Amino acid sequence: MSLIIEARGIVRSFGQTPALRGATVEVAKGEILAVMGPSGSGKSTLLHCLAGILTPDEGEVWFDGKRLDALRESERSALRRDRFGFVFQFGQLVPELTAEENVALPLLLSGTRRAPALREARTWFARLGLDGLEGRRSGELSGGQAQRVALARGLVAGPDVLFADEPTGSLDSVTGEHVMNLLTASAREQGTTVILVTHEARVAAYADREVIVRDGKVSTLTGVAPAAGLTQ
Amino acid sequence: MIRLGLRLTMNGGREAAVRLVLLVAAVGLGVGLLLIALSGVNAVNSQNDRYAWLATGSSARMAASSGHDPLWWLLRADRFDGQRIARVDVAATGVSSPVPPGIPRLPGPGEYYASPALAALLRSTPASQFGDRYPGHPIGTIGDVALPSPNSLAVVIGHTAAELAHAPGAVEASSIATTPPSGCDGDQCLVGAGISAHGIDLVLSVVALALLSPVLIFIATATRLSAARREQRFAAMRLAGATPKQISLIAAVESTVAALLGVTVGFGVFFALRSPLASVPFTGTPFFTSDLSLSMPDIMAVAIGVPVASAVAARLALRRVHISPLGVSRRATPRPPKAWRVLPLLAGLAELGFFVVHGRPPTTPGEIQAFLPGFLLVIAGLVIAGPWLTMTGARIMVTRTSRPGALIAARRLADDPRAGFRAVSGLVLALFITTVAVALITTQNTTRSAPLDGPAAANVLADPFLEDSRTPTMPAPTAALLSRLRGIEGVQGVLAVHAKPGLTIPAKRLGKPASWGAVPAGVVSCAQLASVPLFGRCPAGAATAAFPADSLFGVRFGDFTWPAVSVPVGRLDRLGIGDINVATNGSVPAVERARTLLEGAYPSIRLPATLGESTAESQQKDIQYQQLADVIILISLPIAGCTLAASIAAGLADRKRPFSLLRLAGAPLGVLRRVVALESAVPLLAVAVVSIGVGFGASAMYTSAEMQEPMAGPGAAYYLITAAGIAVSLGIIAATFPLLRRITGPEVARNE
Repeated sequence: MSLIIEARGIVRSFGQTPALRGATVEVAKGEILAVMGPSGSGKSTLLHCLAGILTPDEGEVWFDGKRLDALRESERSALRRDRFGFVFQFGQLVPELTAEENVALPLLLSGTRRAPALREARTWFARLGLDGLEGRRSGELSGGQAQRVALARGLVAGPDVLFADEPTGSLDSVTGEHVMNLLTASAREQGTTVILVTHEARVAAYADREVIVRDGKVSTLTGVAPAAGLTQ
Repeated sequence: MIRLGLRLTMNGGREAAVRLVLLVAAVGLGVGLLLIALSGVNAVNSQNDRYAWLATGSSARMAASSGHDPLWWLLRADRFDGQRIARVDVAATGVSSPVPPGIPRLPGPGEYYASPALAALLRSTPASQFGDRYPGHPIGTIGDVALPSPNSLAVVIGHTAAELAHAPGAVEASSIATTPPSGCDGDQCLVGAGISAHGIDLVLSVVALALLSPVLIFIATATRLSAARREQRFAAMRLAGATPKQISLIAAVESTVAALLGVTVGFGVFFALRSPLASVPFTGTPFFTSDLSLSMPDIMAVAIGVPVASAVAARLALRRVHISPLGVSRRATPRPPKAWRVLPLLAGLAELGFFVVHGRPPTTPGEIQAFLPGFLLVIAGLVIAGPWLTMTGARIMVTRTSRPGALIAARRLADDPRAGFRAVSGLVLALFITTVAVALITTQNTTRSAPLDGPAAANVLADPFLEDSRTPTMPAPTAALLSRLRGIEGVQGVLAVHAKPGLTIPAKRLGKPASWGAVPAGVVSCAQLASVPLFGRCPAGAATAAFPADSLFGVRFGDFTWPAVSVPVGRLDRLGIGDINVATNGSVPAVERARTLLEGAYPSIRLPATLGESTAESQQKDIQYQQLADVIILISLPIAGCTLAASIAAGLADRKRPFSLLRLAGAPLGVLRRVVALESAVPLLAVAVVSIGVGFGASAMYTSAEMQEPMAGPGAAYYLITAAGIAVSLGIIAATFPLLRRITGPEVARNE
């Protein structure tokens, strides 16, 4: 299996506070990787560095043969828009837009016309059990429904990698499991790689492999290390 | 609890501090403008009081009404290089004759008092151009108490009673007027200052409607800054056991503190701007700085009223949300505005349209009753229809657009069109009122006779003598006078118009409507006329011709051939004189020397003026109102821009997390910029277009019905000022873009 993302010796500090101190991780194509760790361990910082949201102070991040940390901000933005998807803990839906417009947003941002974008968005409502909620605003959705809409938005453009930062953090356990089932099933169906940050073991259990971030460094807990072969 | 409120307001962290600063700035700006408006009205009243004494002649204070020795009084408007001078000729008839304010005693024959500005002008100008007009010598200056403005030009000249008793227009007065006249007549209108009592009402209404509305809306919008975070904080306090009353008290303390600081800043703004503003000639002349004053009731009303109003507004704002220990919820989702809102606007336009079709009422009160409700309905209709029009436009945009920025902006406007419109509603009034004012002033000026302009306007000095039938006929100018006039360097010719009662010229011949009938005429020598081509010519072979008497205003005579009359040239000198028109090269020395010479030779009721001066004086009030309209546009548009900026900042704070997550997910900053720009610029531009369009529409209907003339479009200055105001507003909106970049950066998403 080939690698899609590789981070080597990443160091990243916020002011005087170090968050990552030489983190190294490899992610294979199609893999679901859980990044675990206690609060403040640097797991979200690692995810943001892997997604090109933050650039490391030291070290390298590679994505699909490109050195991500050396790209310009505009290039990294384009990459995040076109190749990545994101699901966060809460508050990611634009309140003015309806659920279907929120889902269609990545397509619209990529230049798809309104009608086909909405048509594509609607197909996700049935898949994620959201039928009938297309016209609702974020304030009219429950936490689980909003998170499923966010999941649909993260996957609608068929990203290579889906970054999920505590996607069930604000949900009860039953709803959380439902969302995780949908997330993993949809990702596997599309062949999307998932990098999942969580501190819950039962959420991490959905992943193929788990790594743990502690004191800014990454260690492998379970699963099989991805095969070498990252294209450079 | 009050101490806790104070602690949260003054030391509640960076966000609370920013909110406090913005709120204080908004209230400070609003209070500053309010104080300037109040002091402006006081200053106009002071100005009116200071020139009240000039109305003595019109007040019929006849000798019989008191035991005082009467005072002979003659007020005239004199001019120097386009500036107007109040010339008062007085003569005591006894020791108890009243003395005007500002001078210790009445000047005797051969003496005069001059205002400081006039005294300076006399010192700096050759006597042949100016000083020779005033017989005698100066014995002092007129005090400020009698001067409307620091640069007022006024002179009080003493005479013997016998001299003035025979002067045309002189009256006997037993007391000096102390209250400003409700209206003016003759030269009083020209030498006066300030605005009539009726004008003050108008200015107050215009200022209140067009200027203060945007300011108040700005203050209201600023109070919404960080409202969500503040409400969340209140919810946390409720969780900790605070009662709703305690929350209300804390909110009231916060608002009152901000309002008190804002009032302090506002007074600072007022005192900082007072002196520079005093020098702006809003009423045609500058104010004394001390005239821009505030009465104790003014100060108390603002110092107490604004904080109290702010506390009440905070209480009302809290009633819109339900703050429970578990969080904040809106009491109700705003219901979409209904289509009926457009009815008042349509009714107003229909009302004005009715009179276009059916004609105006025959009487002035009937016209007021007919047109005023129409305009008021249109103004109210614009404000009422605004949210519905905003919603309709936004909904159309929602269905049409594929661009995410436009979609988000249109959805937000469609969801809460009242909020979207509120930010620009002050503009509706400002733009509508100023557009109507400018359009009507322009139409009025256009429908008047086309003024004589170009070099001729400044070059021709006209000295009219026949004020009315009671004015005694003056003797024709002597050969010596004509020779001295012609001898002035820069004088190109002199045309004496001799009086010939009953002689007229058909108005049609002057390019006037036939309905005007005929205009009075005098007789001119064709030899003289030939030396001044500017005034037209005689038919071939004629020795004398008819020429318009009294006024050349409004007509270009150069191409006219005047009708011959059967008056022998030799008889002309036996006729009295109607006018003397002196053509000059327009230089100040030439015009003023000729004027000084004419004033010395003919101390008539009206002193000579150039055609340019006459034109400017006839349009003086219109120009003042146009200036006021420009001021309103230039102030209200940027204030609306500030309101929009505050509204944008509040909207961004509410959507900080989704926007920052969108950016984090790769949405270009440009998309978010478009959201902000469209949310604010679209209502701004739409309101500008609708207000200006309806303003022109209403004006066109009014001019068609009332003036029976097509509306004349305003000049380029109006469009330039409007465009500049809109550009400044858009610039203020663009100034929020750095804020957008900062508050949607990745750090925000990480830390939220």
